[in-house]
Amino acid sequence: MRTITAQDTPIAPGRTLRSVRSRIIFTVMLFGLAFAGLSVRVVDLGLSAEASAWSAARSGAADMLPARADIVDRNGTLLATDLKTISISANPQKVQHSGEAAQQLAQVLGGVDPAVLEHRLSSTSSFAWIKRKVTPEEQHAVNQLGIPGITFRDEIQRLYPQGSLTAHVVGYNSIDNEGLSGLERAFDEELRDRAADNEGPLRLALDMRVQHAMHEELGAAMRQFNAAGAAGIVMDARTSQVVALVSLPDFDPNDPGSAAADRQYMNRASQGVYEMGSTFKTYTMALALEHGVASMDDAYDATHPIQISRFTIRDDHPKARWLNLPEIFMYSSNIGTARIVADAGNGLQKDFMQTLGLLNRPDFELPETGTPMVPENWRNVQSMTVSYGYGIAVSGLQVANSIAALVNGGTLHRPTLLLNPDARDDISRQVISAETSEQVQALMRLVVEKGTGRNADAPGYLVGGKTGTAEKSTYGGYNRDALVTSFVAAFPIDDPQYVVFVMLDEPKGNESTYGFAGAGWTAAPIVRGLVPRIAPLLGVAPSKDDSHPMTRELVRMITPEVRS
Amino acid sequence: MSRTVRSGFYKRPTLWQRANDMHWMLLTTICLIAGIGVTMLYSVALGDFSSLAYTQLTRFGVSLCVMLGVALVHIRVWWQLSYPLYFIVLALLIAVEFIGVTRGGAQRWVDLGFMVLQPSELMKIALILALARFYHARDGLAARQYRQLIVPALMIAIPCALVVRQPDLGTTLLLAMGGVAILFVAGVRARLFAIAAVLTIIAIPVGLNFFMKDYQVERVMTFLNPERDPLGAGYHANQSMIALGSGGLTGKGLMQGTQTHLDFLPEKQTDFIFTALAEEFGFMGGVTLIGLYLLVLVYAYKIALSSRNHFGRLLAIGMATTLFLYVFINIAMVMGLAPVVGVPLPLVSYGGSAMLTVMVGLGFVMSVHLHRDVLMSRQGHVR
Repeated sequence: MRTITAQDTPIAPGRTLRSVRSRIIFTVMLFGLAFAGLSVRVVDLGLSAEASAWSAARSGAADMLPARADIVDRNGTLLATDLKTISISANPQKVQHSGEAAQQLAQVLGGVDPAVLEHRLSSTSSFAWIKRKVTPEEQHAVNQLGIPGITFRDEIQRLYPQGSLTAHVVGYNSIDNEGLSGLERAFDEELRDRAADNEGPLRLALDMRVQHAMHEELGAAMRQFNAAGAAGIVMDARTSQVVALVSLPDFDPNDPGSAAADRQYMNRASQGVYEMGSTFKTYTMALALEHGVASMDDAYDATHPIQISRFTIRDDHPKARWLNLPEIFMYSSNIGTARIVADAGNGLQKDFMQTLGLLNRPDFELPETGTPMVPENWRNVQSMTVSYGYGIAVSGLQVANSIAALVNGGTLHRPTLLLNPDARDDISRQVISAETSEQVQALMRLVVEKGTGRNADAPGYLVGGKTGTAEKSTYGGYNRDALVTSFVAAFPIDDPQYVVFVMLDEPKGNESTYGFAGAGWTAAPIVRGLVPRIAPLLGVAPSKDDSHPMTRELVRMITPEVRS
Repeated sequence: MSRTVRSGFYKRPTLWQRANDMHWMLLTTICLIAGIGVTMLYSVALGDFSSLAYTQLTRFGVSLCVMLGVALVHIRVWWQLSYPLYFIVLALLIAVEFIGVTRGGAQRWVDLGFMVLQPSELMKIALILALARFYHARDGLAARQYRQLIVPALMIAIPCALVVRQPDLGTTLLLAMGGVAILFVAGVRARLFAIAAVLTIIAIPVGLNFFMKDYQVERVMTFLNPERDPLGAGYHANQSMIALGSGGLTGKGLMQGTQTHLDFLPEKQTDFIFTALAEEFGFMGGVTLIGLYLLVLVYAYKIALSSRNHFGRLLAIGMATTLFLYVFINIAMVMGLAPVVGVPLPLVSYGGSAMLTVMVGLGFVMSVHLHRDVLMSRQGHVR
């Protein structure tokens, strides 16, 4: 039932409408506020993500810096370790008086230029380094200044407790702890992984006591003969593990930028390649004996120098007669050696050198491993010069490693700095027979007993070795006054356990050597000083015998010198 | 364009005139929001248009037609149908109680033979229609009387009671709060709402202990402390916040959202699609979408204010409030500001029935706009 009444009217404008209108506006404002709240939350979540990404890239950097595993020697002596340190940075936007702040900071921090600092602090960016890796005292002093916008962040400083002693082996890192040289570079990733997986330190074959002895003896010789540089290696003759590797001059890896000259960074033991001179005669002898080219009592005509193409091959101490093999080796006759290799043929010689790993870059852990310089054409004349160590340049590491093979019974190993190298990398192989190896031992002992290497005869230890004196090549010939003298030795020679290689770069003769600068006068004495120091450390007992049994036979083959 | 004269005699416009009077800005905004939804579904499906995006686009097309249909029907017709519709839907809700189809652990659907219907969705519309009609006949003075509150309170409470038993907490919230919004605008004493708010806060622990399902209690507890159970009930909210934050300012780009695409986020195409949006378009994308929703609300309220009949005014308010609640609860939920209750993001989330409900609601808003100059007596007589 519907009747039109007074009620049947439109809602009267007035109080009701105003009330409805105000309530609608109230509602919509409430909803708008709710939406504003949601928006703020969305923006907040997004911004916090931006901020955390930013801070992760910046301030979080210290947390993400790779911690690196320690490096230790074979006895566990610490060679490289991580040290927590503090770096000081600033947000230049928050630093108010950049000039004043720079002055104050430069006063308490050493090695900071206030002008450079002011430039950095007045930049518009939000990040600038003040000084990295400061001492706790410096941190305290900067904190006391109370400059707004300065922040301290944890960083990791690599520390080398052995200092320059390991400079060329362990190497050093960049300020951001990335390996730049040496094993730090070679095992950059491995060291991070080890630290991350907590696998303990990287253990080297190096023995710091031996390294120290080598470092000291080489340094002394270098000073004594005013040499430009020196290098030395001690290698386990039966495994080719490097027990010591020194290159001088060196630098402090804790402050690698401090080195005054580039030559301090040069690793002369494994990176530098040199014409080694007479040391190479050892290879020629081994070649001849192994392949039956000659036997010990075969004699060669060393009466006159050999003329071949535009070269004349002379002897330094001419005997001007026929010489048998032991005589050729102990007197270091170039003429005799050249004649032997002529009999052997250059193909056989090249193959033999190749077998000993002298013609290719050795597979060695250090990035600073040199590639040998090898004759482009291996004709008769090159063959002859190579036979006594000219026209071919190899590293001391290659010499030590190949001599180890020649004296240890004939097995060549891969040289390594690691105590436990990966077994898959073992390339050990027989390169000469045990008989030939014994003959090489006898010849090397003969050199020390009767020949050019008498100054290497360390009392109590049977040292065998071979001198090498090479003139440095210059434009258009060789410089007689710039020598590279080396001595490669093995001890005890009747059962070689260690090979020692020492080298001096441009030694000068002095009164004690009667002006001579040859290897017998400059390099050989280093070995004489070194072996008695390191043999006890390495567990090598003094020899009861005073000679190699076969050397006695060789001595009988030598024509007595006619004293003049 | 022939607009009806605002004063003087009301002349009933033709259908064509009404169609031309459509609120084009509102329509455009709705299409923009739906477009964002289709784009996000395209992205969620990793560039496969046919799987989700196409279906959604079809649904939107159908819903748009329904919406325009609703809009063009004269407002008096809706006035007349409001009570019958309410009772029919209420009957269906009761039917659910006895012959309902159970899906996913909840008894929400009723099988009509030719289609499966979710009466609680229909109730969101029907309740607002019925309440709008009830208050159309009562001015502010009447609304202030407490005895006038009994009928609308029952109108809200009965469907709410039925829906919460299904159980469907999200819909219950939408029904209750949508109804309460109409009561507020209609002029019920403001102090009642303040008292109700206080009572609600007191009632929450009681409700937790006596009336809610275990999983509902779990959700609320987890909401209060999401880290309580990061791999269980808190998983959604935690993953969602990680993804939301990871978008940053401008996001990772379409189809580049790692949290979303690596399936860290379940329900990414439905309830958690806002998260995918914020991850791939950053908070710029998220705020833009919120802005578009706000625009729709502002249009709806302007329409409500411009309506010269109380029924239309309340209708627009109710529908707008329902839309607001959908958006607010969903976004608050994915951002960890509200418990996970399963409310889709209107027009954007994948799914047909919510889309249809929202579009029908917006159809009513549009109808109010087209008939804003209709003067209707308390008994529904058009002059």
